[in-house]
Amino acid sequence: MQRVIRRNSRIPNLGGKRALVLHRPHANVAALLRQLTAIGLDAEAVWPRLPEDVGKADFLFFDVDMACDEQFPWQPGEAPMPLVALIGSEAPGRIEWAMSHRADAHLVKPIGSAGIYSTLLIALQKFEERQALIAEIAALRAQVAERRVIVQAVLQLMELGMNEDEAFSRLRSIAMHRRVTLELAARSIVEDRPRRQIG
Amino acid sequence: MKRSIEIGILFSRSGDYQLLSNASREGVLAAIEAINSDSRRSFLLRARERDPQGQIERYGPHCVELLRDEGVKHIFGCTTSWSRKEVIPLLEKHGGLLWYACPYEGFETNDHVIYAHACPNQHIVPLLDFVIPRFGRDPFLLGSNYIWGWELNRVARDLIGDVNGRVLGERYLPLGDTGIERLLQEIEAARPSFILNNLIGQSSHAFLRAYAELGRRDRAFAPENCPVVSCNLTEAELSAIGEAAEGLLSVGPHFADPRATGALARASSFHASAHAAVLMLADALEAAGSEDPDSIRKALDGLEVETPLGPIAIDGQTQHTSLPVRIGRVVGGAFEVVWESQGRQDPDPYLSYLGPRALQRHAHLRVVSCNE
Repeated sequence: MQRVIRRNSRIPNLGGKRALVLHRPHANVAALLRQLTAIGLDAEAVWPRLPEDVGKADFLFFDVDMACDEQFPWQPGEAPMPLVALIGSEAPGRIEWAMSHRADAHLVKPIGSAGIYSTLLIALQKFEERQALIAEIAALRAQVAERRVIVQAVLQLMELGMNEDEAFSRLRSIAMHRRVTLELAARSIVEDRPRRQIG
Repeated sequence: MKRSIEIGILFSRSGDYQLLSNASREGVLAAIEAINSDSRRSFLLRARERDPQGQIERYGPHCVELLRDEGVKHIFGCTTSWSRKEVIPLLEKHGGLLWYACPYEGFETNDHVIYAHACPNQHIVPLLDFVIPRFGRDPFLLGSNYIWGWELNRVARDLIGDVNGRVLGERYLPLGDTGIERLLQEIEAARPSFILNNLIGQSSHAFLRAYAELGRRDRAFAPENCPVVSCNLTEAELSAIGEAAEGLLSVGPHFADPRATGALARASSFHASAHAAVLMLADALEAAGSEDPDSIRKALDGLEVETPLGPIAIDGQTQHTSLPVRIGRVVGGAFEVVWESQGRQDPDPYLSYLGPRALQRHAHLRVVSCNE
């Protein structure tokens, strides 16, 4: 019998990473801080205000029962670090609120000795995935926005007597030659037009 | 008259891993005897024992009997991670503390467990650090199809990747499986630098015998050229393996010292760590004046205890033990220590401080000679 082996990413080095726990003082918080410290993180509980340098935290745990939007210095869903929701009451309104902040993972209270390491790893992976998606969406949006410029550039090249296929492959070869994206090549053609007309 | 404190013992006296569990059990019993004959101690320890006979489903009920019916607060027991994970919820429910004195794969810090043997930064990491510069960085990884093998090989893959080595094969056998012929053919074809053996019990013994035979036929696989290395091989298994054990490398907090007197001259690290764990409890009992697990945990933090392993201490944050690290090679049926750490190695059960550069000085090495 053989197990299928997949090469995963390396075991993360969590030693010295900073975790903030936004929760009023409670036995659950003590248990969480104890486990985070055992794993090697530098963990601190804060309530009700997040510190000025919250952006430097590598993880943020937040209380779903008592916390509110105003405590975060960012819009819901835009936290710059992995978020872990600490869920006590499973009332739908509170879960909905936690989801509006796009928690990357969650822990259900009471918090014991188990589950915290996996929560850190899941939150880290989800956060990185989310950041990669945001970057990819931004790049795709930029491409879509430039689509009109490409059409304009092709039309201009067609005015010089090329058919559509020839115009498009000319545009592509210009982009390749200059080692820029198709969109940038198109923009340069469109922006050059007045000069060409004068010249 | 001295007061008596009852402690639980939960080791399998028969079954697949009886060599290991019996070694641990004997260590506990030897320590109880030593404590009870020590006039300076203010109490006597009384053992309450249950034997799960290597049957995983018996650990839970036996653990409850010890905690609820016998009223013990401290249990020395469990060999496999599987059995430890079985009893943890019961320890949580009944407020007990498990003293677990076997090497394990790490990634756990339960309030109800004291981890008294080595975790990965005290076994697999120093072992590879020793082996790679001497034999090369392209190993073959073996394991029983079980969390011990999976996780140790997982750490090995990371470390081998860090030094630009190649894992030439990674194979798992079902627990107890002794059909190793195909495995051996693969190893023969792959020509690795060394073999990391995370097989356990019968599978491991069958493999070691067959591999020793291969080494006699082809010197490329002799121990001085392509050794088998492991993180849990101890004196407890040497007689079962016999001559095939010659040249094996293993890592642990202790190897038997033939120059020592008494039982410790032959004691494996399973025996010695279990012995040490009872001494740690005894010192903590004296310091805390109570057997309540919370008071014991507090008393243990920062407490240094003289044990057969030397002076050791519990790290209060992780409840793991700060231990010496030694690497031994089997010569003439006993381990000869070939490397040891300077002082104790603090535990890092989550490998949170094992950066990608931990073994990097080996990344560009050339193995000039494999013959030491």
